[in-house]
Amino acid sequence: MSIWPEERLDHVDTEGFHTVDMTINVGPQHPATHGVFRMLLTVDGELVTACRPYIGYLHRGLEKLSELNDYRQAMGFWDRTDYLAGLLCEQAYCMAVEKLADIEVPERAEYIRVMLSELSRINSHFMFLGAFGADVGSFGTSFTYAWRERERIYDLIEEVSGDRMFPTYCRPGGVTMDLPENFEKRCREVLGHIYQGIDDLDGLLTGNEIFVERCRALSPLTTERAINLGVTGPVLRSTGLAWDLRKAEPYSVYPHLKFDIPVGLRGDVFDRYMVRLAEMYQSARIVEQCLEQLPGGPFLNPNLPKNLRIDDAEAYVRIEGTKGEYGVYALAKGGNKAYRMKLRSPSFCNLSALSEMVVGHYVADAIIILGSLDIVLGEVDK
Amino acid sequence: MTRQWTGPEVAAIAERLVPGSVDRSTPVACYLRPEKLVEAMGALQAAGETDFVHLTNLCGVDFWDHFEVVYHVQSFVQNAIACIKADVLDRERPALPSVCPVWRGAWMQECETYDLFGIRFEGHPNLHRILLWDGYPGWPLRKDFLSMPGGLQPGLDEFSGTKRRLPPPVKVVE
Repeated sequence: MSIWPEERLDHVDTEGFHTVDMTINVGPQHPATHGVFRMLLTVDGELVTACRPYIGYLHRGLEKLSELNDYRQAMGFWDRTDYLAGLLCEQAYCMAVEKLADIEVPERAEYIRVMLSELSRINSHFMFLGAFGADVGSFGTSFTYAWRERERIYDLIEEVSGDRMFPTYCRPGGVTMDLPENFEKRCREVLGHIYQGIDDLDGLLTGNEIFVERCRALSPLTTERAINLGVTGPVLRSTGLAWDLRKAEPYSVYPHLKFDIPVGLRGDVFDRYMVRLAEMYQSARIVEQCLEQLPGGPFLNPNLPKNLRIDDAEAYVRIEGTKGEYGVYALAKGGNKAYRMKLRSPSFCNLSALSEMVVGHYVADAIIILGSLDIVLGEVDK
Repeated sequence: MTRQWTGPEVAAIAERLVPGSVDRSTPVACYLRPEKLVEAMGALQAAGETDFVHLTNLCGVDFWDHFEVVYHVQSFVQNAIACIKADVLDRERPALPSVCPVWRGAWMQECETYDLFGIRFEGHPNLHRILLWDGYPGWPLRKDFLSMPGGLQPGLDEFSGTKRRLPPPVKVVE
């Protein structure tokens, strides 16, 4: 046999050429897994034939902690779930407790919550754009652009609540303190930067032909398959189904606000990216409307009991989180602690579709498909 | 606005589609019998009037003497959500049929319920401890977890952290 590879290849009989599948371990410490997530890929050559996700590296026992601490104490754990948009998780938790205990929320507090939640959503989507661009190959550039805008939003949230990532700003019955005096001016300033930042990233990624060619028609999902796999959020909307809980089950002050639901056409990776990009504009629109409509009045219900005790009650409250339907199933049976608090985390449920979605694709594309699901591991592992 | 199905409404349809599948119903939820659970869920998913195509939430609840598994299912076309429950009476060997044949996406939430409550889902393609590691002592979300081996000593749970945990037993019995 020749020593030259080209001539050796001629001797390979393609009919009787048997290959052995190889397993590749991706993660748990790998920049492409966006946290401590591990997946075991079985590959045949360059194609993925099976994928097994392994999670739980960030499991902190959120649900048990919520049973062991009272309603006020347990709130601090909840913004650690989706740590890119902590205020949304707080809002969901507070809405669940409010529904259990029939607490009224002042309108000003609802507007503040919605405004900051939408800023958090923009923040989370910025992180998606940056990290996704890094997955596809524009490492550094998209990431730093996204990081710059993210810091501006975090600065604003810090000015309001005192903390960047984990504000613990909502309370059952309102929010903990009022907005600072110059909030409107600062918020409009940040919004201007946000619009500019979205345009920058839009030009950087959507205007890049390599990026578009890489993502287009990759791993398309049909609506039926997505529904059966339990997928929600932008991934479901990218398949063409206009399902957004802010419209379908309008909670808080969303009935008073005007916004559209961006939907995709084919449910491929590019559509998932475009849906999130379009959603950021809508969120910025919502923030602008909230600034205009922001009413006066109290920011916290003045008639709250000092120690919240809830008798038999059961509620399933869901909001449109950044990754999909963020649901809280709460069960109270007397006392000042919840009997059961279950988080239906959208990242976790979206991840159950991953093993079917990556089969048949290249290993490099599997990373992109994982990135397009936009999981956040704090929410997956609870 | 999303319509919330009441328990008796779901129970009436489930009883008509699959006779003998309904155990009882409360204003909130409809309780299905475990032996007809999958059949009834499949019928509710396929029927046009209910159209429960999407399994949103699946979780277990421990009531000290028995478990309950709670399913929240919804229809996108009708914009309606329903709560369906099933009792798991055997606390020693809790088991329930898996709904994975009906909704494929249920497999991870069932693994999670198995992991944290120890409820076995029969017919599940790959039931394993998903958040904790294999051989973890006890089932953390059970109410008596703190007195299990590896948990806190009984009576000390009000001041968690003040006493060291008991070492887990050498032989781990699932």
